[in-house]
Amino acid sequence: MDDDNIIVGANIGNVPWEFQDKDGTYIGFEIDLINHIGSELKRKINIVNIPFNGLFAAVQSGRIDLAISSITITEKRLESVSFTQPYFDSDQSLTVLNNSKIKNLYDLEGKIVSVDTGSTGDIWATANKEKYKFAEIRRYEGLVPAMLDLVIGRVAGYISDIPALLYYTKDKPNLKVTEKISTGGNYSMMLRKNNDLVIEVNDVISEMKQNGSLNNLHKKWFGKFADPNSSTYKVMEMPASDVKLSLNLSETFFNKQVFLDTYPMLIKGFYITIQLGLISIVLGLIWGLFLSLIRLYSPIFIKMLAKAYINIFRSIPLLVLLVIVFYAFPFVGIRLSPFNAAAFSLVVVSGAYFAEIFRSGIEAIPKGQFEAAKALGLSRYHAMIDVILPQAIKIVVPPLTNNCINVLKDTALASIVALPDLLKQATQAQAIAANPTPLIVSAIIYLALLLPMILWVARLEKKYNSRGQS
Amino acid sequence: MKSLIELKNVSKHYGDFCALRDINLEIYEGEVLCIIGPSGSGKSTLIRCINYLEKYDNSGEIIVNGNLVKKGRSLKNIRTEVGMVFQNFNLFPHLTILRNIMLGPMRATKISQNKAKNIAYDLLEKVGIKDQADKYPYQLSGGQQQRVAIARALAMKPKIILFDEPTSSLDPEMVSEVLDVIKSLANTGVTMIIVTHEMAFARQVADNIIFMDDGIIVESGTPKQIFDNSRVQRTQTFLKSILKE
Repeated sequence: MDDDNIIVGANIGNVPWEFQDKDGTYIGFEIDLINHIGSELKRKINIVNIPFNGLFAAVQSGRIDLAISSITITEKRLESVSFTQPYFDSDQSLTVLNNSKIKNLYDLEGKIVSVDTGSTGDIWATANKEKYKFAEIRRYEGLVPAMLDLVIGRVAGYISDIPALLYYTKDKPNLKVTEKISTGGNYSMMLRKNNDLVIEVNDVISEMKQNGSLNNLHKKWFGKFADPNSSTYKVMEMPASDVKLSLNLSETFFNKQVFLDTYPMLIKGFYITIQLGLISIVLGLIWGLFLSLIRLYSPIFIKMLAKAYINIFRSIPLLVLLVIVFYAFPFVGIRLSPFNAAAFSLVVVSGAYFAEIFRSGIEAIPKGQFEAAKALGLSRYHAMIDVILPQAIKIVVPPLTNNCINVLKDTALASIVALPDLLKQATQAQAIAANPTPLIVSAIIYLALLLPMILWVARLEKKYNSRGQS
Repeated sequence: MKSLIELKNVSKHYGDFCALRDINLEIYEGEVLCIIGPSGSGKSTLIRCINYLEKYDNSGEIIVNGNLVKKGRSLKNIRTEVGMVFQNFNLFPHLTILRNIMLGPMRATKISQNKAKNIAYDLLEKVGIKDQADKYPYQLSGGQQQRVAIARALAMKPKIILFDEPTSSLDPEMVSEVLDVIKSLANTGVTMIIVTHEMAFARQVADNIIFMDDGIIVESGTPKQIFDNSRVQRTQTFLKSILKE
C-alpha cells in the first residue's frame, strides 16, 4: 500500500457527515475532520465511496485504511475492528411524514419500519421489535431509498441517527423527526485491528479536542458548539474490546462464532431466495413460452408488439427495471411489495429471454413435422402440444437451464428493494458482526445451489454435441 | 362413377414463378392415379394443394368429397379424410411407433386410447412390423419407417391417400417392401394419388396416369395409353430418358 496516502472509505450521501456539493466535491463534518488529520500527519487523504455495510469488509481486507460514516462503536464490532476515541455523541430517531398520525414509537404497533442495513438503527430496531410490536423491519441501502419509501407510504417510520435526520429534514417540510431514541451511541473512525495508524489518528483527535478545532467543526456543521460533557469536547480513551481475537486470515473470513450467531438469519434469507427464484422461473417459463408462440404465429401487428417487448426487456438492466417498478410505480398507483416487485421484474425480463430460447427451439424443428401434424388433421393446439413442443423443448434444455441459473443469481438484486433474501441477510449480518464471515457463507450457499446445475448443463451440452456429430 | 376430388382451374404462383397452370382434374372414388414427370414439374405441389399444405391461387377451386378446400373450420375435417405419406416419412421422432399411429385417431377424431391402440396394432400387422411397436423411429430402417408412415395415414380411415414420392429417399433394396404395401392397398378400394418415379410400379398399380411438365398436365390416360401409345412428344422423350437409367 502507498505509504503516503491514507485511503478512506466513506458512505457518500450520509449528510452532514460526508456528501457531495453541487460540483461533486466531497464535503461534510467527517470529511473536514479527516482532511485535518491528514494535514497534521502530512499524509494525503484519498476518499473512496463505499456503501455503509461494505465498509466493514473493506477495512478488514485492507482495501481501505480507515472508514468514516458516522459509525457507532459497538461491543460486537470491537471484536473484529479497532476504533479511535469517539468524537460525536449520537442517538437514534424516528422520522415520519409530517401529516402522519404517528407521534411516537408505540404508534408503530403493527406497522412497517425502515432502517439502513446493519446500522445502529437496524440493531436497535431488531432488538426492540417485540417491545414495540413492529410488523416488519425493512432494510435499505442508504438514506435516499429509505426516504423515498417513507414518502411513497410503504413504510410508516424510519429509524436512524438523529444528527443526519435533523440535517436532512430541515429543508423538507413533508418530513419530521418525531421522537429521539436514546441509545447513547458514539461515532468514531474504524480501522483494521492492530493497525498503528489508529494511534496516530487518535492523537490528532485528542489534539483537536484540546485546541478547540473539533468544536469549531461542530459549530460549522450544526450551527452551535457541542455540549461540554460530550465526546466532541472531552479527550477520551481509545475503546478496547474485552474479547481478544486472534487475527489470522481464517479467523477473519471464517469466524466460527460469527457463523453460529448468524446462520439462522442466512437460512431465512436462503428460503426467500429459493422462493423468489422458483416462482420467477416457473412464471417466466410460462410467460416466455406464451410470448414465443405469439412472436411466431400471431397476426403481424401483435407479432411486432411481442418482438418489441422481447427486444426492450432484453436491453433493460434488471436492476434498473426493479428500481423503476419498486420506487416509480407507486406514483401511478401501483404499489408492489418487495417480493412481488422483484418477482414481477424477474418474470418480465426472464420471460423475454425464455421466449427467444423457445423460439429458437421451435424454429429448429423441421417443416415436415408441422406438415405431418397438419396432414393428420391435428388442430394447431394439438400440433404444438403433442408434436412440436416436446421436440423443441428437448433441444433447448441446456439454454433454458442456463437462463434458470441466471434468474436464481439475479434474485440477489432484490436486496436493493429491501427484500430480506440471502444476500441481504448476509450483508446485514456482516455489518452487525463487523465480520465478513456471513458473506463468505452466503457465497458458499449460492455455490452449492448453482454449481450442480451448471455441471449438469455442461454434461447435457456435451451429450447433445456428441450426438450431433455422430 | 362418382367424382371424389375435383380440381377446377387450379394455379399456384410463388411470387412470379408459376408452379401450376390452370389444372383441371377429376378423380373418382376408388381410383388409383399415378402422377409422373420430371423434377420441378409441379407434381408434389399439385397433391399438396389437395390437403392445403400449399395454398393455391384464388382463381381456382378444389373440391374434396363435396367440400371446398380452403382455410377455415372445414379444413380439419377434409384433412382427416385425406391421408398423406411423405418422401421423408416425417414420423414423430419423440414418440414410439405405436404412439405415432395412435396420435391422429386420439387427437383429431377423439377416439379412446384403447381403441386407438387396437387400430394401431392391426395396422402394424397389416404393414408387417407389429414387433417394432415399442421402438422409436430412429431404430427402424427407412423401409420400415415408411411402412409406419403408411399405417399412420391409414389409422384415420381416410377416403383418400396422397403419396408424395414415397420411395424416393429409400435405399434401392427397400423400395419393393414399401411398394408391395401400397399395391395391397390398391385392392381395398381406397382412392390413391401417387407421385412416383417408379414406372414399372405405376404401370402395374395405376388405373390412370398423368404426365406433368412445367406446371401443366401434358397428357393423361390409362397406363397402356401413356406408356405404350403416347401421342405427345414430351411424354415420349421423358419416358425414354427415364427408362434408359
